[in-house]
Amino acid sequence: MRELYTMRFTALRLIRAWVVLLLLFVVPFVLVTLLSIIMGDAEEGGLLLRNEINVMMVLAFQLFGGSVAMNYIHQDFFTERRYRIQSLPMNTTLYGFTTMLIGTLYSIILGALLAGYTVLVWNVDWGNIAWSIFIIALMATLSSIVCLIFTFSVKKFNIAERLSEVYGVGAILIAGLIFPMPDHAVINWVNEYINPIMLAYEAIDAYRNANVGDAWMNAGLLGGLIVITFVIMLLLGRRRMP
Amino acid sequence: MTIAAMQGIVKRYGNELALDYVDLSIHEGEIIGLLGPNGAGKTTLIHTLLGMIPFDKGSIQLFGRTEKVFSHENKQKMGLVTQELTVFEDLTAKENLEFFAGVYGLKGEERKKRVEEALAFVGLSSNAGKTPAKFSGGMKRRLNIACALTHHPKFLIMDEPTVGIDPQSRNHILETVEKLREQGTTILYTTHYMEEVQTIASRVVIVDQGQIITEGTVNELIANIQHEEKINIDVSTPGDVPVERLKGLEGVKNVHVDGSTVQIISTVGSGNLDRVLSLVKETSGVVGIQAEKPDLEDVFLTLTGKQLRDGEEE
Repeated sequence: MRELYTMRFTALRLIRAWVVLLLLFVVPFVLVTLLSIIMGDAEEGGLLLRNEINVMMVLAFQLFGGSVAMNYIHQDFFTERRYRIQSLPMNTTLYGFTTMLIGTLYSIILGALLAGYTVLVWNVDWGNIAWSIFIIALMATLSSIVCLIFTFSVKKFNIAERLSEVYGVGAILIAGLIFPMPDHAVINWVNEYINPIMLAYEAIDAYRNANVGDAWMNAGLLGGLIVITFVIMLLLGRRRMP
Repeated sequence: MTIAAMQGIVKRYGNELALDYVDLSIHEGEIIGLLGPNGAGKTTLIHTLLGMIPFDKGSIQLFGRTEKVFSHENKQKMGLVTQELTVFEDLTAKENLEFFAGVYGLKGEERKKRVEEALAFVGLSSNAGKTPAKFSGGMKRRLNIACALTHHPKFLIMDEPTVGIDPQSRNHILETVEKLREQGTTILYTTHYMEEVQTIASRVVIVDQGQIITEGTVNELIANIQHEEKINIDVSTPGDVPVERLKGLEGVKNVHVDGSTVQIISTVGSGNLDRVLSLVKETSGVVGIQAEKPDLEDVFLTLTGKQLRDGEEE
């Protein structure tokens, strides 16, 4: 499979893109470290604040992981390079999927490394770390799909980039992580059933509190969002991909 | 043997006709110089030939196949050098070539050998471990070419491979094309540089406004306009040149003002030099006059009524 052969090179391109590493690893690493120092062992309502903040921080940066796949798909399929890619004797759709897969995997690995760092250095309680990484993987996948939907939906890539930022910042904002949101039915409904960062947090928190049913329900909602957005991405992609 | 053939190809972008019933045959071992100003339809023609954009009418044949023309099997025999640089900036020159060689199905030692061979072919062996970001414009262009060579294509399409580079790098690229010809590669070479076509092409195809307006060897094309003569008159006030009145003179086929030079193409023996000079003298002040033998540029001017560089700023 010639498409699989290209994965090594996509990974090399990613590893060398230091801006991606800065955005998805260095910045959250520094923030996690600073906030952990500031929080110390402070508690609120019997909960260790460091636990909550660090879990949210790692999850929040997963919202932006989709920018990796988005950038590479744009470069390879929506710039002059598309002609070279199209001239090659391989299935370009499959090549697009492998690019997306590598971008998503990279985001998951960076998220897992961050989670590992918070556990080892700051003793953050993630409950079951394997489950948490699974939830991080769901978030990274959703983020990649959503960002690709933006890429396929608009003609100008910089608009797609802005939309992906709105997706990330919007989710954080609605979750009330920047400032408290009003107790409104619509906002509460969005946070309970749609907002990926809240779904991911609830899934991890429920597992941590041995509430496996709730954990699976939230993971299932994330999975449902992935399925719906994946179908939308496929439909838009078939229309826009060369 | 015919490598590629386009028959009656029509391509529209909305109401705009990008390719207007194009017929083109490319035979084994040829270097076809596809010549035309920017916007003439050269790149559209190439992309249509490669199956990258759908066409509205006509048929394409590649390597004798009329069905599944753009199959992987046919793509395997072709190479494309894109007009823009399409190498991967984050990969080294060697890795770039390994990527393309691998996609073309080369494996193990064979792949390694071909990559080294391609690097040497374009003179980049000593820079194999560097990323294109550290390359000059000419080196990037050469890498862009090498990416299409590792699999030894039978048919290579080069879309303006020398745009925006220094004369030394251009010569290097033209030498590379010559070497490919010696190896028997069939090449479709598009450019708007007349001198490149005169140097390398075994056959020239002139395109303008989506149409093939003529084709033949350089000598054949020039011979076709041997019945014409070209007079260049240097004037002091080019803005005042009475172009329309000059065009109205008997025997005058075309008048073109380029800077302070008025170029007049007229039928041989029309005997209108006196009349031309009188008219120009009246309005613009003659500074100098010279007659030239026609070249490929004149062929283009005669057939299209404009100079090849006219379209560059489009």
